[in-house]
Amino acid sequence: MNESKTIATIRLAGELEISRKREMRDALALSESARAVLLDLSDVTYADSTALTELLRFCAAAQGADTPIAILIAAPQFLRLVQYAGLATAFRIFQDRGDALHYLSECAGM
Amino acid sequence: MGASELRLRRPARARSVAPIRRALRAFLEALAFDGSALDDITTAAGEALANAAEHAYAHETTRRNRDVELRARFDRGELSVEVSDGGSFIERSPLPGRGFGLRIIRAIACQIQIETSRGTCVRMLFPGPLRKVDARHQY
Repeated sequence: MNESKTIATIRLAGELEISRKREMRDALALSESARAVLLDLSDVTYADSTALTELLRFCAAAQGADTPIAILIAAPQFLRLVQYAGLATAFRIFQDRGDALHYLSECAGM
Repeated sequence: MGASELRLRRPARARSVAPIRRALRAFLEALAFDGSALDDITTAAGEALANAAEHAYAHETTRRNRDVELRARFDRGELSVEVSDGGSFIERSPLPGRGFGLRIIRAIACQIQIETSRGTCVRMLFPGPLRKVDARHQY
C-alpha cells in the first residue's frame, strides 16, 4: 500500500480469482491514517466472483469507517462481471485515474 | 466441419481452476471465438469451476472421487460447456455478499441446466462465434 498525503493506494494485478482469495483479503485492509483509498485494479486481467466478494467486504468495512473508496478498473471482462453480478451501483468504479483521485479528494474534503 | 471437444479432469481445488479456464480459452480461440464472447464464456465456466472447487466436497468425509471435470463441445454452431463434480450442490450461499457465481452464469449463458442426481453437473449453452463477412461478397 502506498500513501500519498491522505489518499492511500492499494494495487492488485493479474488474475483475481479463487486461488488468490487469501492474498486479496490480506491486501484489502484499511489504513488508519488514510482518509480515502484508491483501489488500483487497472492491471487486473481477469476477475471472478471471489474478487467481487472481497471487494464488497472491503467496501463495507470502509463505509463503516467513513472512508471513501474509488476503484480503478480497466479490463472489459472485469467491468462486465460487475454488471452481470448486479453490483454496478455497489462500487464507485472509474476507468480514469484522474477522475478517481478527483472524486476521492472531494469526498475527503482535501 | 465436425464436432470439436475439450475434456479436462483435475482435483477440485482452487488452484485447478485457472489452468482449466485457460485451456478452455485456448480451445475457444482455436474455434474463432473472440472479444467479449470469449471473455464471457470463460468467465461463466470459471464461476462453475470455482463453485465446484469451493463447495463440492466441503462437507465430504469419504475418500471417493474429489475431481472436477470440464467438458466443452462445439457442434453445429452451438457450444456447450459442462462442469461436473461428485459433490453436493449449493444454490445460494447463506452468507451475505456471496453466491454471485450462478447469477453471473445466468447473465451470460443462453441456457443453463443444473443436474444434482449424481454429484453436480452445470451445463451451459452458448451461441457460436459470429462469422466474419468475406469482403469479396460485399456489394
